[in-house]
Parts: sequence; structure tokens; C-alpha cells
Amino acid sequence: MNADIFLIGAGQTRFGEWWDKSLRTLMDEAISAAITDAGVTALDIDFVVVANMLGEATCDQAHLGSMAASLLPHRPPALRTEAACASGAVALHAATALLESGRAETVLVVGVEKMTDVPNDLVAAALMGAADAERDAPSGLTFPGVFGLVATRYMHEYGLTREKLNIVSSRHHVNAVSNPNAQFRMAISPEAVGASPLVADPLRLLDCSPVSDGAAALILSTKKESDTRLAASAISTDAVSLTERQTITSFAASRTAAMQAFAEASIGPRDLSHVELHDCFSIAALVSVEDLGLADPGMGIHLYESEDHLTVNASGGLKACGHPVAATGVKQLIDIRKQLRQSKKQWGLAHNFGGAAATAGIHILENLHA
Amino acid sequence: MHDFPPSAARRATEHRKMMQEGTILSFTVVHHPPEGFPTEPRTIALLELSDGTRVTGLLVTNGITPVIGQHVQPRMRLSRITSEKLRIYEPAYEITEQKPVEQKVFPGYILALTGPSGVGKSTVTARLTRSVGRFAAPVPIVTTRKAKDTDEKGEYIHVSAEEFMDLKKSGALVAATDIPSKTEQRWYGYRASDIAAIWAKGKIPVVITEMGLLQELSRHYGRRSILSCGLLPPGRSKRTMLSALLHRLRSRGRDTEESIEDRMKNAERDLAFFRDQKELFDHLLVNEDLDTVVNSLKGHVMELVKA
Repeated sequence: MNADIFLIGAGQTRFGEWWDKSLRTLMDEAISAAITDAGVTALDIDFVVVANMLGEATCDQAHLGSMAASLLPHRPPALRTEAACASGAVALHAATALLESGRAETVLVVGVEKMTDVPNDLVAAALMGAADAERDAPSGLTFPGVFGLVATRYMHEYGLTREKLNIVSSRHHVNAVSNPNAQFRMAISPEAVGASPLVADPLRLLDCSPVSDGAAALILSTKKESDTRLAASAISTDAVSLTERQTITSFAASRTAAMQAFAEASIGPRDLSHVELHDCFSIAALVSVEDLGLADPGMGIHLYESEDHLTVNASGGLKACGHPVAATGVKQLIDIRKQLRQSKKQWGLAHNFGGAAATAGIHILENLHA
Repeated sequence: MHDFPPSAARRATEHRKMMQEGTILSFTVVHHPPEGFPTEPRTIALLELSDGTRVTGLLVTNGITPVIGQHVQPRMRLSRITSEKLRIYEPAYEITEQKPVEQKVFPGYILALTGPSGVGKSTVTARLTRSVGRFAAPVPIVTTRKAKDTDEKGEYIHVSAEEFMDLKKSGALVAATDIPSKTEQRWYGYRASDIAAIWAKGKIPVVITEMGLLQELSRHYGRRSILSCGLLPPGRSKRTMLSALLHRLRSRGRDTEESIEDRMKNAERDLAFFRDQKELFDHLLVNEDLDTVVNSLKGHVMELVKA
């Protein structure tokens, strides 16, 4: 990092089905909460970065940078980032660059998504935009289908059983019970996961994160200090289509971003106390713990089978918190800060990816009062 | 999916490349197909085609349960009819055999260098295998071309045309090609035993290839086994690249003017190959400075060693 960047404030809406809230009202709610939490005034914000993937497809709304800025009295400059489900991490990365360059001293990052207004077919087609329209979509593949391919191959290579895979979503649901901002605050047994309807073999309904509405905002600053420092911000990319990958049971972009982020923060996977990772599908959680270096290839499930000094998706993850796609990457940092404050531990990491990790983003937070 | 005539026409040009047999790498049953597709569940596979490219396509299962490693045949099928009554055809892949095919075991990595004559493949290989000799070794080339004083020791195994054909027939060669020439009949090939011997020593075999050899090696060992690097002459256009090659061929003094003419003709074909068959290359390196190229390849070798 070329500057000392502090996370000074955060706020979010509860994720869920918000038919009475628009993109604008969701953003407004999260932004107001973040400003109050930061103890600054709106006028202190000198840049706004908005993360959003589906504004055009689900709300006929582009131009979200200005829309977010217009919620502030002084209309600061603004931009929007889009990198499918990694839009949030990319927005944070862009904000980091603005702060490091000195162009801005306090930046508001807001991730927002509205997915439940429109029929399922439409939102499924829009999400498929995260895959390759020329190489993946013509076969009739859907996004759950992409991860169905990953899961079939993973089970083939590592002998993971359906019974073991059930544990992942079940664990996320148990974690979400204590999270007031989660969409689904109910425990679900592994058996119930295994008995839910098939969506894309071998993945079932309860392996998949839901469609959700929601917004999450946080304020990063080089001017005002706080108890939480942003210790690393790394983005890496890969071929959009699975057909252009050497392997589909590990994601190169996650591995590269993790390596860079650990180097930037000068720590290793063993130093972490809390991790929020991108479990858009249960199988993605297993691939991700391996890519982050928390488990050996094929051994990710061990982390879910045993209690450990490390918490993974203590918030409930995408599965139980809900996954308003571009808000997720921002919301993960809010949860990491909360967990670090509670446990008084030093290091936490958020891992967010888009598509089948064609973009991966990693952010590491340091609790300075550890 | 938006199927407008221009995008459908563009897509159709891809179909020719997709009409190849292949092997199942993974599959899934999509229970809720996207809007516009027939509503029944679709079995979709990730396939490796015989030229090493990968595609996703509909599997025609014929009631056979798909298995990873199974062999499939391409069939052009009506995929869907759009609201404008445009009929969209897509290659689908049919499982023809009942029994699961034995999994091809991953044999190990091979580093392949491809480039037009005169670009410096032999020099680069010699320098590379000398500096990382503990990890990589050159595979001797079986050839019918006459020995020359300038050949590196152990670079070639010289055989007669009859001996070469015998080796080819017996299946001892994993790849063989003849390079058109007016001056002599030139066959080149690699023996499976030489490659296996290098693997047995725990090293990575380094092969010098051209398009025929590269395609055959990739078919035999699987595209995944081959780290394929293309070596290009410096120059921004085809013309400057060719003139750089001509200059090198003349200055190294190994070839007669007549054979140089042959080589230049082949070089033109080779440069087109880089453009048309991009998917066969993992890295393209420009041989502007020998040290840079060798260092970059060293890095790739060390990555494979770690893998």
C-alpha cells in the first residue's frame, strides 16, 4: 500500500427481498448508516465509487455513479465499477487507488443490487452475462450449470461425496442465525441440503446462493484514522470462459490475488483469524479455501468438518446472508471488521470473485486495537 | 440469449472448428434451461476436442449415463427457434459407447518450442537445457536429413528413410512429420521411449516442433501435458519478420541458397499458423534478445517443476 488507509465507517441494509425499496432508496439507507458510523459529515466525502452489475437488466437504470453522488449535498465526483459478482471488490480496489494517488482523501464505496423485482428467467439470463456469451452460453448453460461442471469435476478428482458437500451450506445457515443482516436466519441440516431439488447436477437448490436486494457502503480515508486499517487490496483476472482454463477445480485468479494480498500485508494464511469467502455455490467455498492456501487441494471440506481457530463465513456467507451481487464484496469487509472487533484478533480477509473467478479480489483488514 | 442475424452468422463460423470428436472433462444436468431453449433438462458437458481446444456443448446421451473420460462424436442439431423464427443450429455431442472409457493418465509435462526455421529454436534449447540441466533435457530428434558439422551433439538421431518408416509403422514414434523441401526428403519425429526416459529421470522433456509435430504430440499426450511456446522473429509485420529470418539463415551459413528458399516458403506458412491456431500456444515469445527468451523459458520450466 502506498498510503495508510483506514476503514472509518460502514453501513448496510439487511439483504433480502425488498419490493418496497428501489436502487436509490437502498443506496441511501446504506450510505446514511455509513456516514453516521464514520462520525464525519457527508461533505468530507470527496469521491464516490458505486459497484453494480445488473442495474440495466433489472431496473433499466445505468449511470449509477451520479445517482449515488446526488444523494450527497455537494454532488462529489463518482464512478461505477462492474465486474459481475466481483464488482464490490473492484470498487474497493478503485477507491484504494484514488486514495493512494492522493486524488481523494475520503472515498465512499457503495455496492448495490436489485434482483427480486423481475422474473427468474430474466435475472438468470442477466447473471449469465458473467460467463462468456460466445463460448459458454450457446450450449444452454446457466450459471448454476457452470458450477455444476466444476462440482462434477471436483468430485471426480478428489472423491468428494454428496454427503460431505451438504455440510457446507448447512454450516453457513447455522452461522447466519446470529447475524441480524442475513436474509435467511434459520439453521438447515445437512440432510435437508441433500434432499433439496436438483438445479444443476450435482448441485441442489440449497447449494446455491439466493437472488437478493441490498446495499452495503463503507468509507475509506487517509485523513481520518480509525481502529481498522486496510492492509491489502489485490485484484486478479482470468479467462472468462471455463473452456479457456487449464483446470476448473482451482481458480488461478483467486490464487494470484491471494498471493499478492498476503505479500502486501506481509502476513500468511496462518495469521488470519476471520475469513469471508465467495460461496456463490457450496462447491465454490471448497475451491476457495484451497485457493487461499487455508487447505490443501481436495481437502477444503476438512475446514468445514472441524472447528478451527479460524472462522470461515461466520456471517453466513453468500448462501445465508443473501447475494445482491455487487453489494457482496463491500458487505464482506463490514463483517470482517465486526468479527475483528468482537474477537480482538488482528487479521481478517475478504475474498470476492466474479463469474467463475474470472475476476477475483482480496482485501485484508488489520485491527489496530488487537 | 439474443440471436440476431449478425451474431448468429459470426457464431456459425465457429461451428466448423467445433465439429470434432472429443472427451468428456465434466458434465452437468441443467434442470431449468435458459429462456428460449426447450424446457426439458439439458445435459451439458465440458469437452476436450481432438485438437486440444475445449468447448461446452449439449450431450446427446442416448440413455447412456455420462462418465468423465468418455468419447463423444459431434452432431449438428437444431438448438432452438427464436421469436423471429430464426432457426439456430449448434454442434451437440453424442455418446456412442456404453462402457466408460479408461481415464487417460496425466503422463507429465513437456515443454514444446515452435517457430519458423532460423528463429533460433536449437540455440534457445541448447542454452536452456544447459542452464537448467537438473530439471529439463532436450529430446533427440529422429530425422532422415543428413548430418551437419554445426549440429549440437545428441541433437539428432540420423536414420535412413526406410528405418524412419519402420519406426513410424511400429508405433515407436509419437509424432512424425515431413517438411517439404526441393533439395532432400526430410522426415522428423520423436520416439516415445526418449520422452519416457527423460520423465523417468524426473526431468521435463524439451522438444522442438512445427505445426505437424505439435498437433501430434498434443493428440498423443493430451493438450494439458504440453506447455507450448511459440518463438517469433522480431518485427512488427510479417515482412519484417521474414526479412529477419532471411538475414539469420544467411549469416549462420548452415544452408545453401536453395534450401534457404525452401525454408522461407515454410516460414511463411509457420507464421500464419501462429495466427490461425492460437489455441495451441500458451506463450508467444519474440526472439529479440537471446538472454531474455532463455530467462523467460527458465521461469516456465521452474513453474512446471513446482507443479
